[in-house]
Amino acid sequence: MASISIENIIKEFSGNKVLADLSLHIPDGAFYTLLGPSGCGKTTLLRCIAGFYETDGGRLLFDADDMTHVPTHRRDIGMVFQDYALFPDKTVFDNVAYGLRARGVAKPEIKQRVKQAIESVGLSNLAERYPAQMSGGQRQRVALARALVIRPRVLLMDEPLSNLDAKMRTQMRDVILDLVQEAHITTVFVTHDQEEALAMSDKIAIMDRGRIAQLGTPEDLYGMPVNAYVADFIGSANVIPVPVEPAQTPATAYYKLSGRRLEGVRAGERFDADNGILVARPEELSLLAPDPVAPNAVPGSVLRRQYLGFKTTYRIRLQDGPEIRVDQGKGHQTIDPHPGDSVQVLFPAQSRIISA
Amino acid sequence: MSFIKSKWWPWGVLTVLSLIILGFFILYPLGVLFSNSVRDESGALSLAGFAQLLDNSMFLQAVRNTLVLGTSVTVLSVGIGVPLAYMVARYEFPLKNLVAILPVVTIVIPEVIVGQSWLLILGNNGLLTNFMEQIGIELPSFYGWTGLIFSMTLVYYTYIYLGVLAALRGFDGQLEEAGLSLGDPPLTTKLRVLAPLMLPAVAVNALVVFSLVVGNFVLATLLGSRVPLLSVMTYNEFVNEMGGSPLLQSAMSVISITIVGIVLFLQKRVVERKLYTMTPGRAPNAVRVKSGAALMFTGCVGFIIFLSLLPLFIVFVAAFTETSGPVMKWGVWSLSSMTRIFRSAPEPVFNSLIFASIATLIGVIFAVLASYLIIKKRNGLTQTLDYIVVLPLTISGTVMGIALVQTFNTGWLVLAGTSSIMVLCYAVRRLPFAVRNASSTLFNIPDSIEEASISLGVSPLMSFFKVMLPVMKASIISAGILMWVTTIAELAATIVVYTGGLETMPIAIFRQIDGGRLGMASAYGAAMITVILAPIIISIKLFRINLFSNA
Repeated sequence: MASISIENIIKEFSGNKVLADLSLHIPDGAFYTLLGPSGCGKTTLLRCIAGFYETDGGRLLFDADDMTHVPTHRRDIGMVFQDYALFPDKTVFDNVAYGLRARGVAKPEIKQRVKQAIESVGLSNLAERYPAQMSGGQRQRVALARALVIRPRVLLMDEPLSNLDAKMRTQMRDVILDLVQEAHITTVFVTHDQEEALAMSDKIAIMDRGRIAQLGTPEDLYGMPVNAYVADFIGSANVIPVPVEPAQTPATAYYKLSGRRLEGVRAGERFDADNGILVARPEELSLLAPDPVAPNAVPGSVLRRQYLGFKTTYRIRLQDGPEIRVDQGKGHQTIDPHPGDSVQVLFPAQSRIISA
Repeated sequence: MSFIKSKWWPWGVLTVLSLIILGFFILYPLGVLFSNSVRDESGALSLAGFAQLLDNSMFLQAVRNTLVLGTSVTVLSVGIGVPLAYMVARYEFPLKNLVAILPVVTIVIPEVIVGQSWLLILGNNGLLTNFMEQIGIELPSFYGWTGLIFSMTLVYYTYIYLGVLAALRGFDGQLEEAGLSLGDPPLTTKLRVLAPLMLPAVAVNALVVFSLVVGNFVLATLLGSRVPLLSVMTYNEFVNEMGGSPLLQSAMSVISITIVGIVLFLQKRVVERKLYTMTPGRAPNAVRVKSGAALMFTGCVGFIIFLSLLPLFIVFVAAFTETSGPVMKWGVWSLSSMTRIFRSAPEPVFNSLIFASIATLIGVIFAVLASYLIIKKRNGLTQTLDYIVVLPLTISGTVMGIALVQTFNTGWLVLAGTSSIMVLCYAVRRLPFAVRNASSTLFNIPDSIEEASISLGVSPLMSFFKVMLPVMKASIISAGILMWVTTIAELAATIVVYTGGLETMPIAIFRQIDGGRLGMASAYGAAMITVILAPIIISIKLFRINLFSNA
């Protein structure tokens, strides 16, 4: 168990900077997720921490130990791979025992620890099975047991759930969380699935083109995205450029949309007085009848209505403005307009304006 | 030191080591061959050798004949292989499963056996020749074009068949359905949708067949006595010139390398670019054909398989048939040929077993290492390694043998005349196949398995032994068996390099045929086929190893 400090790491592939001067501190015992679309550098960063990639600059520390040039097999890490990477010629027992044998642990202890590890992932009766005889979920449990049984300083997980079906995926989230919390082990988890990230992490680092766009708790990222990229990546958001009046109070911002003056909240970094970006999540908006004119609402017309059971989503063209999405939860519906109908869209006063 | 440790140890060092060894045993001999082709007796640079060849009408005739032979055999092989593949891929008919043995046939029946058994049937004193003569029909002489084209087509059509069959099985049937759904009638859909996608596969394999025919020495020399051919002429020049100037043999070798080089260049540059990547789809279901058509399908396929397998039976029958000189007394059984080879001349059998075993051991170890470096540990040098490893494919056995003898008959490392050069011939010639075998397995093993081992605290080198080797075990064994059985049959290169006491079974067969003793030749043939079949049967039946999954 150790903290991980990544200091100004640079990684290039044939002149292409995949990680550009990236720094991140992960405290001891924390569960951090690297989240981003493919090509954002999240897996590269994980493989640099694992030592599969030699970095082109910067330092990597586990606690105070400089790991930058330590080869992978001496880093004392546990790693879980997307394709499980179980040794196909070895039984579950031998797979899990592999790392202990490499460390020269005494036989009786190996037996006892492996048994316990297999038990902890709920596979006690499958110890003599071969990987090919097991389901995806079972294999991933073996992979977890194999990585944790060596009691590594850090646990690295590279999209461990993406090869599983949806139901198994949610189930495995709990299995993983239970195990890492019990072991109190520093964990770096890579995923492109935002729901997974929100559900599991202490903190999420959203990555964009080799940099960390925002680091924060799930609540921070959802509630206070620092820019349009983060806002659009976590949840879905209507991202609308709007002219903003010069600040009168530090917190409120007045902006113009479809000819009306609306009130919102300043969020994120400072921004230039004239231009801001309104970030409004579809579920935060509500629909009103076209009359009478309501405060903080904008007129528009319905383009499409989709009924999804627990909610209804509307595609709405704002008057002289962009198209936006509005979600009305079941039971919170004020009106239920159809394509062609005129409506007003109510933007709550907590809508966030961020820098352009 | 730390630099060497982290970046170059162990894979970089092993890559360099492999390059040095391959360079010395493959590139260097070829270099010697090329340099000998442009040096006169005093050692000065000269193009006299090539000039002499171009002035020699006999030589020009041989080149022309070789190209004509290559073209005819290729065309005929396509003519047999493509329809056969189409029938097997798309139709269901009685006894269709027999075709499963075709890939095996190409491996277990060596060319020298094919040539010999067809001589037994259609040669001057052949079974069928004599029979036809009795009923008053005179068959054309089998020596010459007839025999060459007939036997080579029977040997090489399987290359086209297997290549096209694989392409047809990878073809997404929905493409044809898409054509039909767009209103194209079935026949034109096949021409417009299926044919363009199959053409590259046909072309690639046709070029392979062409280059194999150009390099073919065994059948060419057994059956082509009246037709001058490049490979035979090169060999004769080598035999005549032993001890003299290697100028002409080198020049001829260089010319045949050039011909094959041009063909392979065409294949790489023109044809492979046209290979489309198809998303693997559902191959169309085979259609069951009825009565009359079924009879025809079964008949065609059965006849081809019968012709392919016939040599196997003939050789065994002939091995146990009484002979008197060159005349086979068909119907009179006897153990005399068999007892003679085992009593008075068993060395070829032992030599073959020993040389093939050593070559296989060396070849497989090297192939596993080389393909591991090429597939899993790419660096600036592995690309070069990849090129050198496949180089022997482009060089006919005869030329390879000549290059090795010319290189290792003087200097600080003299191998000519020792058993090492026989082993070297075997190992070098089969290396590309062994590497291809190992590579296709490695390609399917995800990198993450090895990374998992390293992340669990095992060093990269030990991870190779503890994780990669066990996973590759089955394919290493099958690669080894394939290499062993194919080296046993090697003749084209070893006939050039062998000297007294180093005779192998194929060489013995060749010499017995040359001396007109077909009974003795058949006895060696039967022994050779037994030695080839035994490990194949054992591994398939006992260990359930699928030998031909990559073949």
